[in-house]
Amino acid sequence: MTNDCILEMNHITKRYGSNAVLKDVSLKVRPGEIHALLGENGAGKSTLMNVLFGMPVIHSTGGFEGEVVFNGQKVNIASPMDAMDKGIGMVHQEFMLIPGFSVTDNIKLNREISKPWAVSKILSKDLEFLDTKAMAMDARKALDGVGMSIEEYTLVSGLPVGHMQFIEIAREIDKSGMKLLVFDEPTAVLTESEAQQLLRVMKDIASKGIAIIFITHRLDEVMDAADTVTILRDGALVSSFPKAETTPEKLAALMIGRGDESVIQVSKRTEEIKGGVAMSIRDLWVNMPGEVDKGVNLDVREGEILGIGGLAGQGKIGIPNGVMGLYEAAGDVTLFGQKLPLGDAKAALKAGLAMVSEDRRGVGLLLDQSIEDNIAFTAMQVKGDFQKGLLHQKDSRAIRRYAEEMIKELDIRCTSPAQPVGTLSGGNQQKVCVARALALKPKFLFVSEPTRGIDIGAKQLVLETLVRLNRDMGMTVVMVSSELQELRSICDRIAIVAEGKVVDILKTNASDTAFGLAMSGVKSKEGEEA
Amino acid sequence: MSGKAKEKPTVQSRIVPVVLFILAAALIAASIGGYALQNAGDIKITLDNMRMGAVLHTASEGLVNSIAQQARADKLAELRKDKNFRKRGLDEVNAICDGAMEEARAAAEALYANPVVQDQAALESAIETFEAALAEASILSAQEKGVFSDLYVQLVDNISNWTEIAGDGKLDSEILSSLAAVAPGVNDAANSHLQASFARLARDMAAKQQAKEDGELQNQLITLMVGSVADWTEYSGLDQAALWDQLTADVPALADNERFKDALLTAAQEYVAAAEKGEAITAPAEAEQGADTVSETQADYSYFVPTEALTKEENEKNEAYEALKAQLIAIIPDLGGLSAKLQTTLRESLEKVLWLGDTDFSTRYNAYTAHQSGAAAESAWKLTLASLAKPLLLGGIAVLLLGLVLFFWKTLTTRFGVPRTIIALFFVYLCLLAELYNISVKLMLGNVLERMTMYGVLVLAMMPGIQCGIGLNMGMTIGCISGLLGIVLALQFNMVGFAALLFSCVCGAVISLPLGWGYSKLLNRMKGNEMTISTYVGFSFVSLMCIGWMMLPFDNPKIIWLLSGKGLRVTHSLLGSFAHLLDKLLAFNIFGVKVPTGGLLFLALCCLLIWLFSRSRLGIAMTAAGSNPRFAEASGINVNSMRTVGTVLSTVIAAVGIVIYSQAFGYAQLYTAPRQLGFIAASAILIGGATVSKAKVSHVLIGVFLFEGVLVFGQQIANSVVAGGGLSEVMRIMISNGIILYALTQTGGGRRD
Repeated sequence: MTNDCILEMNHITKRYGSNAVLKDVSLKVRPGEIHALLGENGAGKSTLMNVLFGMPVIHSTGGFEGEVVFNGQKVNIASPMDAMDKGIGMVHQEFMLIPGFSVTDNIKLNREISKPWAVSKILSKDLEFLDTKAMAMDARKALDGVGMSIEEYTLVSGLPVGHMQFIEIAREIDKSGMKLLVFDEPTAVLTESEAQQLLRVMKDIASKGIAIIFITHRLDEVMDAADTVTILRDGALVSSFPKAETTPEKLAALMIGRGDESVIQVSKRTEEIKGGVAMSIRDLWVNMPGEVDKGVNLDVREGEILGIGGLAGQGKIGIPNGVMGLYEAAGDVTLFGQKLPLGDAKAALKAGLAMVSEDRRGVGLLLDQSIEDNIAFTAMQVKGDFQKGLLHQKDSRAIRRYAEEMIKELDIRCTSPAQPVGTLSGGNQQKVCVARALALKPKFLFVSEPTRGIDIGAKQLVLETLVRLNRDMGMTVVMVSSELQELRSICDRIAIVAEGKVVDILKTNASDTAFGLAMSGVKSKEGEEA
Repeated sequence: MSGKAKEKPTVQSRIVPVVLFILAAALIAASIGGYALQNAGDIKITLDNMRMGAVLHTASEGLVNSIAQQARADKLAELRKDKNFRKRGLDEVNAICDGAMEEARAAAEALYANPVVQDQAALESAIETFEAALAEASILSAQEKGVFSDLYVQLVDNISNWTEIAGDGKLDSEILSSLAAVAPGVNDAANSHLQASFARLARDMAAKQQAKEDGELQNQLITLMVGSVADWTEYSGLDQAALWDQLTADVPALADNERFKDALLTAAQEYVAAAEKGEAITAPAEAEQGADTVSETQADYSYFVPTEALTKEENEKNEAYEALKAQLIAIIPDLGGLSAKLQTTLRESLEKVLWLGDTDFSTRYNAYTAHQSGAAAESAWKLTLASLAKPLLLGGIAVLLLGLVLFFWKTLTTRFGVPRTIIALFFVYLCLLAELYNISVKLMLGNVLERMTMYGVLVLAMMPGIQCGIGLNMGMTIGCISGLLGIVLALQFNMVGFAALLFSCVCGAVISLPLGWGYSKLLNRMKGNEMTISTYVGFSFVSLMCIGWMMLPFDNPKIIWLLSGKGLRVTHSLLGSFAHLLDKLLAFNIFGVKVPTGGLLFLALCCLLIWLFSRSRLGIAMTAAGSNPRFAEASGINVNSMRTVGTVLSTVIAAVGIVIYSQAFGYAQLYTAPRQLGFIAASAILIGGATVSKAKVSHVLIGVFLFEGVLVFGQQIANSVVAGGGLSEVMRIMISNGIILYALTQTGGGRRD
């Protein structure tokens, strides 16, 4: 069996510092098969591909353990160029095309066909003429191969996104000696019919003997196209098996697969939430780059902790950002019966909303200012707190008092309230963000990805704080997180967003399968009636 | 792995400072040795011998030269008598004369080059007496001339209208009391000997001014006349009285100026004559109007009167010289026969040898060696070391400082940032250099303080711009021009004193408000390219206003071009209005440093206001909008309106800043003059430690001090090092632009990641 594999990655382990992101992962791909690689965000798919392509980020952080066998030989891939020479190609998620060049130029870039003439024979090969005719023919062939009817001489700029994806693929299959192609979420930007066409093209390519690694979140595509499925979770190999042996439900459960193990121990609420609706979102469209929402409907009950989960790029982060007026949004949002104007951050803050942003360093903090100034800022601007005298001078003493209180309350590790927040660790920065939101004394708190990039201890503290705010102060909390485990450990209900819509609202004790299916856009029987 | 890599260079980087410390220790030790040698006995004797040698050398050289010249003249006279003289060519005559001269010189040198001194002690004592008298007289004279020059400059700089002070028939006492109002020193008892000459000065200046004003007025009247009269031929054949009647009827302004009647009639008749011949009539060319560049006032010593004490000292000096001359004649008898002119030259040379102005050891040593080569070969190295004591000491300190800076490089640069550290070190080095070149550091510090008040507010204008996120506001020239408009309006209405200053500030600020607002709207549409846009807007607004200054309907003859009768002049003296008003307020001297209290207080007030603003709710919101727009937006702040607030504030401060600048400078300069101000302000604040995204009041103050300090010291020192006065302007431009360039390369300095 070993000999007929085109690619074998054996016992790959990769550490960034002390943090292992890949743990003893093995992957075997046979020629001519479509091998689906599944996993949540952060499961280690990208790192594995980076290892395969010899990306600088791998080598500059101390390399990896394990071996890569390609085409029967143990290889050491030093750079992406090296990988390309060996016959490994990649269809990128972000298009790597030059807009001002024609389709042919883009396909043949750096592999141009040229013909010699007098001067080039004497001086250098660089001075040869381009054989445009031959290049156009090659490009035509490649385009036909992916089922594209567009003319090879059109410019790339202005083409629809779907076309660009196919040109990328055409470029890869035009390369001679291509043995393995990696598709990194190729269908993410495509329409339904384009995605169907892409899957046909992939099968077509595979039938020519080229192996394909297919990274995707869409389980139906896996069921449609893949021959073999490998599932990663938390950097470890979960299992690898032929597609025929499985069902979408099984795949979903394997992807999530942690059952009830909680991040923190929180006393579960015993009685049902009886409060009315705190916030009602109807048909919310948010134009946040990379997190577009297309008609979200959601009701948040007063006094609950609602989780919003889903895979990256599906639009879960767009919801709080849209409601808070940070991105262009349309739809109807009512807060405690009052209609909330969209696109007006000040109005949202005044109405008693507050948000802890997922972009801590970008949106959440003024990095070069002190902890106390960060905490007081929004309250001072929106509610006019912490100020005195003429010209609305800031009241340093009141700010200091409040900041010290917060530092104690949230256990912010710092030398003094005057320390610049840029010098704090990620977890402590996040606590400052929370403190800033609390200074507004909000009735309703959005928390977006509160545990991203912070260590486990800080994570627990932040989550415990959220629970305490909810239980003791009756604050309604909506927490958006990519980490389902977190949501399951502190939330009362969890809404799962996929493709810009709320697919399902699940109880925390719903099955892994239900969550897995919801994430790939399928509503299960366990969910609430929408 | 990376940790180890970082360790290594620190070990190596320690070596350099240690080597520097050793070098510094060696230099300082050598200089201590030098200072010890300066006071050692045998060196003194050598120097005394050398001094005597130099005196004798000067005397004998003078004599030899005069003999040689005489021989040449004699030969020429002899040749002239010859009847073949005209047949000889010039070259031949010259050759013969030169030959005779060299012959005579050789003979004279053989005779006098090594004069034999019989009574060395007598000669030495004569030299010493003369040297002492010369020193006393020179010091006293320099003091008195200094006081005189001070008063002179004060008076000339601060009196704009001499005719008012020294009008017709005023008594000396009246004139003096008016002068004392401007320069109280005039009435000091110690200056009583100068009072008469200052009264004379006032009269002369008044007369000069009157003449100038009369000339200008007459010129203007003639211009007016030429402009108003359509047809000169109509006046032909009229007699004087009829012509005057006709002229005053046509041009009523002439009637008010009967004083110029004769001159005007003469001119009119010339035009009539010209018109009859069919020649074109043109108004007389206008005299050069107020020079564009303002030169420093120089004291005119023809008004100087010495005190009795000085006269006495001078007499003593003359006596001592006679005694010395007698001694010299005793040694070289032929000296007595020199002509009066050569006698004067000889005395001047001797005074130059003996009075060096400064008792600095190395200058004296250099002067002696220049006159007497090889006189003291046996202790040459000791003398050299002694003469180098001061440079060695300063060099030692410089190396020590460099070592310290390198030793604490990490700490310094993280605390103060690279540019501030380097510029501060550079500034200290310039102070050391100033000491080396005997440039008065105190005087320069006073100069730096004055320039701080001049530029401080302008640099402050950069701060709101940086804080609100538009970066370095090169478009602050918009504000500067508004301020200049305010000043010109004050001049137009003949305002003076604090009223004029206040009016200019308020008026400039009001004009700059809408301009700044519009400018900020433009910047808000160009996010990310503010530096380019603001530089462009700044430049183009200056150019636009070059047209504007010509077109605006000002009509006060004090500020417009006289000939055309419209358009503003380039340079406007504020001496009659509010020049130096703030700087003079409460000004005092401390340790010889002149402190412009009023200006500094005003700068402090502005800084305080800005500081208060940056702590207010609006200020905090503005700073947040600048440093992190998305953060500000998330807190419900309208980033665009915050940018507008910052830009308008920056523009308004610039308007006030240029008024303060002009009052400190004493002149308001229009047209292209404000173009560079943006760059100067930007450099100063960058050197002070600000970045394009963060600025504090402390950055402004430190920056303006360092920038102006380096500029003032650098320029003076460059002038001393590169001799020749013409280089001053070139050096000023090179140094200031160099600092600007350096500052702009450091825009990212001190940023935290």
